[in-house]
Amino acid sequence: MRDAITVRNLSYTYPDGTKALEEISLEVHEGERVAIIGPNGAGKTTFLLHLNGILHGTDGQVEVFGKSADKEKREDIIKDVGIVFQDPDDQLFMPTIFDDLAFGPINLGLPEEEVRERVEKALLTLGLSDYENRCPHHLSYGEKKKAALAAVMSMEPKILVLDEPTANLDPRSRAELIEIIKGLNEREGITIVTATHDVNAVPELADRVYVLNKRITAEGTAQKIFSDVELLKETDLEVPEVFKLFEVLQCFGYNCEELPLSIDDAIEHLTRTVENEGGHIHLHIHKHTHDEVKKLKSKYEHHKTNK
Amino acid sequence: MIEYPEIDRYASLDSPMHRFDPRAKIIAFIFLIFSVVLIPDLKIAFIGLFFAIFLLILSRIPIFFVLSYMKWVAMFVLSFFIILAFTFPGEELAKFYFLSVTAEGLYTGSLITIRAFSAIILIFPMIGTMRFDTTIKALDRLKVPNSLVQILMFTYRYIFVFVDEFQRIWTAMESRGFKLRTTLYALRTIGNAMGMLFVRSYERAERVYQAMRSRGYTGNPKTLVEFEIRMKDYLLAVSIIGFAISLHVVSFVGVV
Repeated sequence: MRDAITVRNLSYTYPDGTKALEEISLEVHEGERVAIIGPNGAGKTTFLLHLNGILHGTDGQVEVFGKSADKEKREDIIKDVGIVFQDPDDQLFMPTIFDDLAFGPINLGLPEEEVRERVEKALLTLGLSDYENRCPHHLSYGEKKKAALAAVMSMEPKILVLDEPTANLDPRSRAELIEIIKGLNEREGITIVTATHDVNAVPELADRVYVLNKRITAEGTAQKIFSDVELLKETDLEVPEVFKLFEVLQCFGYNCEELPLSIDDAIEHLTRTVENEGGHIHLHIHKHTHDEVKKLKSKYEHHKTNK
Repeated sequence: MIEYPEIDRYASLDSPMHRFDPRAKIIAFIFLIFSVVLIPDLKIAFIGLFFAIFLLILSRIPIFFVLSYMKWVAMFVLSFFIILAFTFPGEELAKFYFLSVTAEGLYTGSLITIRAFSAIILIFPMIGTMRFDTTIKALDRLKVPNSLVQILMFTYRYIFVFVDEFQRIWTAMESRGFKLRTTLYALRTIGNAMGMLFVRSYERAERVYQAMRSRGYTGNPKTLVEFEIRMKDYLLAVSIIGFAISLHVVSFVGVV
């Protein structure tokens, strides 16, 4: 599988001298889903802006399908890499939804016919078919967020970069957006890079995780990252609720080696366990249970004690 | 609550003005507006005002909506009327202490007031009868300089965002006990809030620009739009422009 994105020793310093990124190296394979997690102010957004050549590192290289994001013409990079910004009001800058979706394709120099087709298709993908002539200020936040994604999808990027896609959404919009993003990866093979601190969304949106805190502090499967207590403490990160619940179950004697991260994982896991153990699950309280639960709780209280 | 500046609130109605091709409408009305503000004669200015009201009625835009905007204009224009009535040299009609009202002053004051009202009323059948984004696109098709079109376009888009943003700042202030008074403290607080709004706008502008560049902005955004100009649009435009010209022909010849 070829590399969609290769970053080598990327550093970035703000004009005022503050170091935002230090020596970042990572790669994203074509068709892969990668999450970049890290606390506020860790440089996630700054890093994403390097992926399509909006910002240029003070040092190091960014390559997209082997083309240098610094040296190629920007048009050649942005047609492969689409960035969806966190605040949809930043992203939707044209008077109507149609104009906004058409903005990218027109700039790519496509003929009018094809621009209209792409707008149509993007609206359909996002379930916004009747929204063409609406103005952004008449939409709800969830609708704006979908429209912002549609505005990038109309450029038909091979790599989709999402900055906090689930932030500030109500549960329904959040679930819808996650489904849409998963679908884009499964059906169209689009490479997905997500920056987020919504750890509950990570198992659904990523196969592999990078932890970013000015530098890359860890890399691995979600499973591996969330099991690393020290790392989580260092970077002030949380683990998915399902993961925590199964750790509690472990204290009550539930037998599992790999803890599930999402509801889907959990269902699969429980089914397997029930089948293996002859039709039921055995939980019990023995004398260590309470101590273990206490220990477990204190493990996740590092947010409180640190501050 | 701060109200949104929605000049195009009644754009979805149906009337001859709504069906008028946007480009022809803009040209015809701009012609007419220039014509009414340059009328030298009071009687003819009244004819212009009646025609403006006629077009407004034709557009079916509710009068109360127009009046809600007119009140600000009225306050501005009426102050001119009063100043002119008292300061213009000429035949004295009445005297209040040291101030005197002159006939010429009243005449000039009325002329300016009527012209201003006519012009403002004409704005509504012109841009109140189509969505503002259509207006912007029509201006673009009429070869108005692209940077001007962009300024309009982004102002229109972000004015709503800024209204919301200011509303949030304001609510946050009020919920911590701030009351609007004419004290130095209140003024200073409002100054800070405005400053905050500027800072936020500046930061947003930065992010919007990044989003624009991410989608290939190079300075001349184009939009796709289909306008179709028909015979009746030409006829309507020609008759409005014809009326605009005849107002001046009549006042020049001095028929009325």
